[in-house]
Amino acid sequence: MNASFNEASAIYLQIASMLEDDILRGILAEEEQVPSTNELARAYSINPATAAKGINLLVDEGVLYKKRGIGMFVAPGARGAIVQKRKDAFYEAYVTQLVREAKALDITKEELAAMIEKAAQG
Amino acid sequence: MKKELKATGVVKRYGKKEVLHGVDVCIEPGVIYGLIGRNGAGKTTLMGILTAQNTFDEGEVTYGGQPVWENRAALAELCFSREIPTTLLMGQNTSKVRDYLSAAAVYYPHWDKEYAQRLVDRFGLDRKKSVSKLSKGMLSMLTIVIALASRAPVTILDEPVAGLDVVAREDFYKLLLDDYAETNRTFIISTHIIEEAANVFERVLVLHDGRMLVDAPTDEFVQSFTLITGHEDEVAAVCSELGVSHAVHTERMGRQVQTAVRAPRSAVRAAAEGHDVDLEGINLQKAFVYLTQANGEGAAC
Repeated sequence: MNASFNEASAIYLQIASMLEDDILRGILAEEEQVPSTNELARAYSINPATAAKGINLLVDEGVLYKKRGIGMFVAPGARGAIVQKRKDAFYEAYVTQLVREAKALDITKEELAAMIEKAAQG
Repeated sequence: MKKELKATGVVKRYGKKEVLHGVDVCIEPGVIYGLIGRNGAGKTTLMGILTAQNTFDEGEVTYGGQPVWENRAALAELCFSREIPTTLLMGQNTSKVRDYLSAAAVYYPHWDKEYAQRLVDRFGLDRKKSVSKLSKGMLSMLTIVIALASRAPVTILDEPVAGLDVVAREDFYKLLLDDYAETNRTFIISTHIIEEAANVFERVLVLHDGRMLVDAPTDEFVQSFTLITGHEDEVAAVCSELGVSHAVHTERMGRQVQTAVRAPRSAVRAAAEGHDVDLEGINLQKAFVYLTQANGEGAAC
């Protein structure tokens, strides 16, 4: 039932995720140019093709867009899109797991809600 | 303009011993290849054959469709920077660093003298020093300088980082990536220090017992392995669903079993459905070890 997949994720996914982090933290602003594949390759000692794969993933997701002959830029609304994507991932990775474990421990819905309330007030 | 370097059915014998048993490989332009294999797998021999520095007994090696052997035009495009011997037949190799550099300048038509000088300064190599007086690290640096400054469209390095400390190794891979960003030329690099180079290699070649076992994009090869961990019965159930022949390595700790399988991720996920096991990926070094260690070493799960 619970075959969990925990793998060190592929390098290009890590590159995409690092760029997303920078956008979330405002290190990269919307409409700002992001580092080139060669700059990323050098900074992290990875093959430029891998860096390009990470960047292309974000282009496909509409987080980055290409200005011909100039480079890659952060798309308008990218921050909001990343927040939504991470919220969905948060639900999948944490909330569903939390509820599953709670069920296994016979914790009622009310008890669980109270626990979350307590932790949130922390 | 961009040409493939291709070996087809290459067989090499040293006396009665056959060391390469029909190797096929196609080196595409503009890719950084990692060539990995255990000691005695035939890596250096193959690199020598690809660049017409070694003879071979059967098969064919071509560059841009033309045989490489005694082909000046092709050889002008290929650089194999070999390990420099500190002793020769007649005793110590008294050639100096600058002798090697000037020989390379004659031999490689794309030689970039200014770049070579920058590299020599960066590594702190003494041009006047005899190579027999160089440390192992310094010798490695000299072969790296020759390889990079050759600016050859296909540049092959045999164990370039073997004698280098960890700082110099990182420095080398940065230099390599800088050069690659500028020239987009082809590199083939052999190394035993696999993990720190794994992210630099776009494709990986695994040579094992004189055969090319793997020629694949590095991430694809790495992701073809999955580690299944759990109670022995659960792991055995997943394995039998998957087909036992996929298991490449198994370790036991009491009732806990960890089995590495080589199968598509989706198939492993499907087989693991409904079983209490953990699945995880492995790194390039582990993938290489599982693939090339003595066969049958507790592989079945």
